[in-house]
Amino acid sequence: MADIAGPPRRRGLRISRGWLPYVLSLPALLACIGILIPFFTAVAYSLQRYRLSQPWAHKWNWGENYLNFMSDPSFWNTLRVSMTYAFLTVGLELLLGLGIALLLQKRTRFNNFVSIMLLMPLMTAPALASLMWKLMTNPGFGILSYFAALIGLEDFRWASSPQTAMLTVVLVDMWVYTPFIMILLLAGLRSLPQQPFEAAALDGVPRLFVFWRITLPMLTPFLLTAVLFRVIESIQQFDIIYAMTQGGPGDKLTVFQVEAYLNFFQSTNVGRSAALLMILWVITYILSTIFIKQWLKLRERQRGET
Amino acid sequence: MSIQLTDIVKRFKKDLVLDGVSLDIPTGETLVLFGPSGAGKTVLLRLIAGVIDPEEGSIALRGQDMAGVEPEDRGIGMAFQNFALFPHMDAHENIASPLTARQVPDATLKERVFEVAHLLKIDHVLGHKPKELSNGQKQRTALARALAAQPSILLLDDPLRNVDAKLRFEMRLELPRLLREQNATVIYVTQDYKEAMALGDRIAVMSDRGIAQVGTPEEIYLSPANTQIARLFGDPAINLLDVTVQAGPKIALSGAEVVLDAAHTGAVGQDCILGIRPEAIKFVPADAPGAFPVEIEAETPLNEKTVTLAATQAQREILISRPAGTPGPVSGTAHIAMDASGALLFDRASGALLPMAGKAIEGEVA
Amino acid sequence: MDTQSTLEKVLRGIAITAVILFFMFPIFWIFLMSFQTNETILRVPPSIVFEPTLTNYKALITGRLESTAGALEIEFMSNLFNSAYLSTMAVIVGLILGVPAAYAFGRLKFRGSEDIAFTLLSFRFAPPLLVLLPLTIYFQQIGLANTYFGLIWVYQLIVLPLILWIVRGYFEDIPADIEYAYRIAGHGFWATFRKIALPLAMPGIAAAGLLAFIFAWNNFIFALVLASADKQPVTVGALAFVTASGIQYGQIAAGIVLSILPTLALALYAQRYLVEGLSLGAVKG
Repeated sequence: MADIAGPPRRRGLRISRGWLPYVLSLPALLACIGILIPFFTAVAYSLQRYRLSQPWAHKWNWGENYLNFMSDPSFWNTLRVSMTYAFLTVGLELLLGLGIALLLQKRTRFNNFVSIMLLMPLMTAPALASLMWKLMTNPGFGILSYFAALIGLEDFRWASSPQTAMLTVVLVDMWVYTPFIMILLLAGLRSLPQQPFEAAALDGVPRLFVFWRITLPMLTPFLLTAVLFRVIESIQQFDIIYAMTQGGPGDKLTVFQVEAYLNFFQSTNVGRSAALLMILWVITYILSTIFIKQWLKLRERQRGET
Repeated sequence: MSIQLTDIVKRFKKDLVLDGVSLDIPTGETLVLFGPSGAGKTVLLRLIAGVIDPEEGSIALRGQDMAGVEPEDRGIGMAFQNFALFPHMDAHENIASPLTARQVPDATLKERVFEVAHLLKIDHVLGHKPKELSNGQKQRTALARALAAQPSILLLDDPLRNVDAKLRFEMRLELPRLLREQNATVIYVTQDYKEAMALGDRIAVMSDRGIAQVGTPEEIYLSPANTQIARLFGDPAINLLDVTVQAGPKIALSGAEVVLDAAHTGAVGQDCILGIRPEAIKFVPADAPGAFPVEIEAETPLNEKTVTLAATQAQREILISRPAGTPGPVSGTAHIAMDASGALLFDRASGALLPMAGKAIEGEVA
Repeated sequence: MDTQSTLEKVLRGIAITAVILFFMFPIFWIFLMSFQTNETILRVPPSIVFEPTLTNYKALITGRLESTAGALEIEFMSNLFNSAYLSTMAVIVGLILGVPAAYAFGRLKFRGSEDIAFTLLSFRFAPPLLVLLPLTIYFQQIGLANTYFGLIWVYQLIVLPLILWIVRGYFEDIPADIEYAYRIAGHGFWATFRKIALPLAMPGIAAAGLLAFIFAWNNFIFALVLASADKQPVTVGALAFVTASGIQYGQIAAGIVLSILPTLALALYAQRYLVEGLSLGAVKG
């Protein structure tokens, strides 16, 4: 048996221990560096006068694009529309998502089935979801237009009317993303320790009090994570709005990314487009830094439990 | 020397885990690393196995320096405290893993797996995945895997820690024979002093990021380097009493005089701690020589012995151990006498064992 | 909690019904619509009673749209193919790049690993157009515009962070001792990675792959900016199709059904991992 004793003989590629992690992560990093370059280019563009239609006038103008925003009503409109959209969608989705999560909290077969069914909108491409709602809100045959007429809203124009365009896209956003908040909060609710609830039930504490004083505080990390995640995505929303109205009617729905897209491809104003996106990036960067902190806390907590 | 550690220093982030550990283990020896949890035993094994690197110091195996040598090239067998079986492989594949690494021909591989499985009495569960094995079977599979390639160096990290008492008892009887048959240099980690005494050719006691004492089991039991080690070995624990040695040499306890071995003459006049094993104290009639009265506080019958807790008149607590089944007082006042021949004296300030004239402290003191 | 009054039960029932109606009705309605001709779609009042027809699907699959105005060639099937191809390739590339990196971040913990991992995570939250707009100009210059390769590369922006953070968690959950044991048994680093780490993290890798596929499939903005007609996935293609087909509502509905079916099917299949994936590995489902 002497032939099997001793260290095994080795062949093949060997990389020293210190280099190994870098070798393993290098391909992924290289792929991402290709993405970092355009990022810095965008920073540069935002500091330039750059219109694709006037390549001869391409030059650095430093902060001018940003300074112009101060007196540019359409910029303030973009900011207002984006904020309104983010505030409305996340606020409504949070209320609705929390409500549904509470409804489905108990682990029954039926509840699990419903929660899985509710994931289907979330798994639908937002752009396609917009198309679905477009078909349903078509003034000619749309089922929702028909319902609106039934309750006395004759000629309800949904996304094509300046008054209701925001309402319509918010509704689509809610349809797609409420399940996201719901499913996170449901996971959160179900992972809460049972003791405080049992103790409260034994002591006959009113349920509303239990909800405000026990459930909500314990659910906070989940709530914060879900909300921050959604705020970051919502303030950047493009797919739903672009597929639904391309920012219209007029400038009613020109949120940051839609406005930047139109600036780039329609007005070919690269400089302004880049500056808009930089402002959006700063907003999301701040939000995502807060988010990552929350998210890490949650991750730590969940990993610790299993 | 089969394993030679020189001045090993290991830090985790800023925490110093091992501070200058040196250890020589000759070929074929079974060395038990003994110490409380957190003393750095497992870290030491991992350093030897090469899965972590020391900050300072060197490790040599079979006379070769191991700096920069990957774990797979060190020719070591190791069993882990938590077994660390590969959950997606059955017992056979687990045990065969060191053999596949060495490209052993199929027939030899099968033969060897069966041989070692038979030796450990798990040949009937070779087709089972780890989660289908009982704890005892898991432990034997882990051991079989460590032994399969007949490594000349075997590291066993508290392999009996996570098995039930019955199995631990059986394995404690089985293991010495098994290890002897392996002809390997073994480092065996345990927190159980009986296991250490039963298995070790020598015992290295770890405490406080280093090795406090190395010696044969008798040496460690009979002349522990300090009060801490004295307390770790022995159940019930050794009695430690503050005393002052008088000329004789002798000490006074509750009015009685206990005469010490003449070798303790050097300690006369010093404030010491007297260490005396509970087995060396006996209940005697009141008029026996050296007898002094104690108040019985409690009695605990254990398997093979009965342990009595008593208090002297000065309210010092003393443990007395006698073989189970022998008569003894249950309460009230009784008299005891000490057999001081094996008594130990420690320095009261440092806790270190005081040297005895004519006797060197046995074992190496690190 | 179990002492529910009848009133409460009724209210709960109504609430759940309303929720199901709101979230399921659009899918149900479009599904019905896809089996109807314009004639029944345009009926007033609308009704769910109609004679189902497969003509819409047939038109999409054969690629010929017969309308009163004449025959129209439609690219819908090639869009569907593009979606499948782009998403599959993006996931494969993402796994090849991401899994070793996830192992490095999760297990090896090297200097700067956390910073790099978080930088990659923050890509997930950067406005996509910020990167895409300069990229259109670069892609024109280096000849990557309107190529599968260029698109698959850009898709890594969504695929990589997802794979990296989910799989990393799974690697972290493998006890280090199991890998040590395999190394000590005599197997090299790569063998240990292949035979121990990969199989044990496989559920996570599969989940991350499925989710990455769903996200890649559902992506709209990348292809809108970077791809022209022949490379467009369904999300962009369907929008163009709406304009092209004019009033063929049944076909639009059928197109939508075909486009969302794969992701819905995958989501149902992988639902166990959805929570974990959607929270980038923070919440275990």
